[in-house]
Amino acid sequence: MVVKIMSEKFEPNILAFLCNWCSYAGADLAGTSRIQYSPNVKIIRVMCSGRVNPVFILNALQNGIDGVLIGGCHPGECHYETGNYLARRRITILKKLLEYIGIDSRRIKLTWVSASEGQKFADVINEYTAEIKKIGPIKKIVRRNEW
Amino acid sequence: MVDTKKLKNEILKILEKKDVKHVICYTAGSYGFQTRPFFISKKEDIEKIIFSPLCLHNLSLYVNNNDEKKIGVVVKGCDSKSVVQLIQEKQLDRKKIIIIGIPCKGVIDPKKLREKISEPLEQVDVKEIKDKYIITFKDKKHEFNKKDLVFDKCLTCEHPTPIIYDVLIDEKIKPTGKEKYEQVKTFEKQTIDNKWKFWEEQFSKCIRCYACRNVCPICFCEECMAEQLNPQWLYRSVNISENTIWHIMRAFHLAGRCTGCGECERVCPMDIPLMLLNKKLEKEIKELYDYIPGTNPENIPLFAMYKPDDPGGDIK
Repeated sequence: MVVKIMSEKFEPNILAFLCNWCSYAGADLAGTSRIQYSPNVKIIRVMCSGRVNPVFILNALQNGIDGVLIGGCHPGECHYETGNYLARRRITILKKLLEYIGIDSRRIKLTWVSASEGQKFADVINEYTAEIKKIGPIKKIVRRNEW
Repeated sequence: MVDTKKLKNEILKILEKKDVKHVICYTAGSYGFQTRPFFISKKEDIEKIIFSPLCLHNLSLYVNNNDEKKIGVVVKGCDSKSVVQLIQEKQLDRKKIIIIGIPCKGVIDPKKLREKISEPLEQVDVKEIKDKYIITFKDKKHEFNKKDLVFDKCLTCEHPTPIIYDVLIDEKIKPTGKEKYEQVKTFEKQTIDNKWKFWEEQFSKCIRCYACRNVCPICFCEECMAEQLNPQWLYRSVNISENTIWHIMRAFHLAGRCTGCGECERVCPMDIPLMLLNKKLEKEIKELYDYIPGTNPENIPLFAMYKPDDPGGDIK
């Protein structure tokens, strides 16, 4: 019975790379403001969204993460001035490439959340979790221990 | 046909200079129809130099500035783009290389030639007459249309004349083809599951020999992400997961840098259509950022610059 319920309900694993200066502070604000948001998300703090190497994202997907969220400051507000613009170019191209290879590009999402947007952070996480739930679990490139 | 005499003369002139280490050019390979790269440093070897539509290597791979002396290199139109890209990325010093440009009318794809002629290909002599190749070996004559024999990249070549050169052999040629990315466009129309089905089949063939990386003139990292151990992003095991990530990363690292010389696809022992991946990125980058790699040494690398009005303004 328990097994049946578990197999019916898919709870996605979502990984969020949040930039130290905006999105992470936004998440912090959501926490201190006691705003409830989906518990499916695991957060990794990076110093800038430009720090996120595409290999981090691919490695996450290989390890069974169903959706990767990258949060940065709004364009023009980056602490390092250009980091989020560079991230935007990189992620745009990476998404195009994944789509072309046959992996749903919605599994990667770039978003801008500022330090004052606690409510927006919670909304983004909730919306994204719902979206990934619809897409379903990642199966195509998951690393299996075959030896 | 390229004037080999003129080529030899020019190389001789370069070798006479005292500050030149060697000139990289082509010579006949061990088998009749194959050619191989040739590093010439002595004048006596000058007669060994050849140039024919069988000279398919991208010689920019072998150029480096590790020595104080200058290095000469023979380039075709597409190879010159790799040289431009290397200069742009500060891997080569323009003052320390001598570029001998050859306007190229296409090179023969050995795989296509193999399909047409099944006999052993030895002592082949290729002649180029207008739109046809006349291939002679052991007194047998074959005549082929150029279009059927040349590489796919040559059919859509936009730069038959080298972009940069110090010496140009023969006259400049006007480009006949235009890159319309037809293969990419047809592939894009498929459903996402069909795309995966296709690539899954292709990537499971991969034996991870890394020939594609080793032959690429632009892949010059001292330590490749694929062999990095700390942190180890990619496992050594050959399975669909690791293979897919390898190919995504290889293509991605070349985004905005790949000049489309097609060497990776040529050397692939498993015939994986790598150019289909590279061309897709080339197309996207052209459409999104209006950026063409390997055309101007003064350009800033694609991922090292941005414009505030880049696509992606709708990201919330």
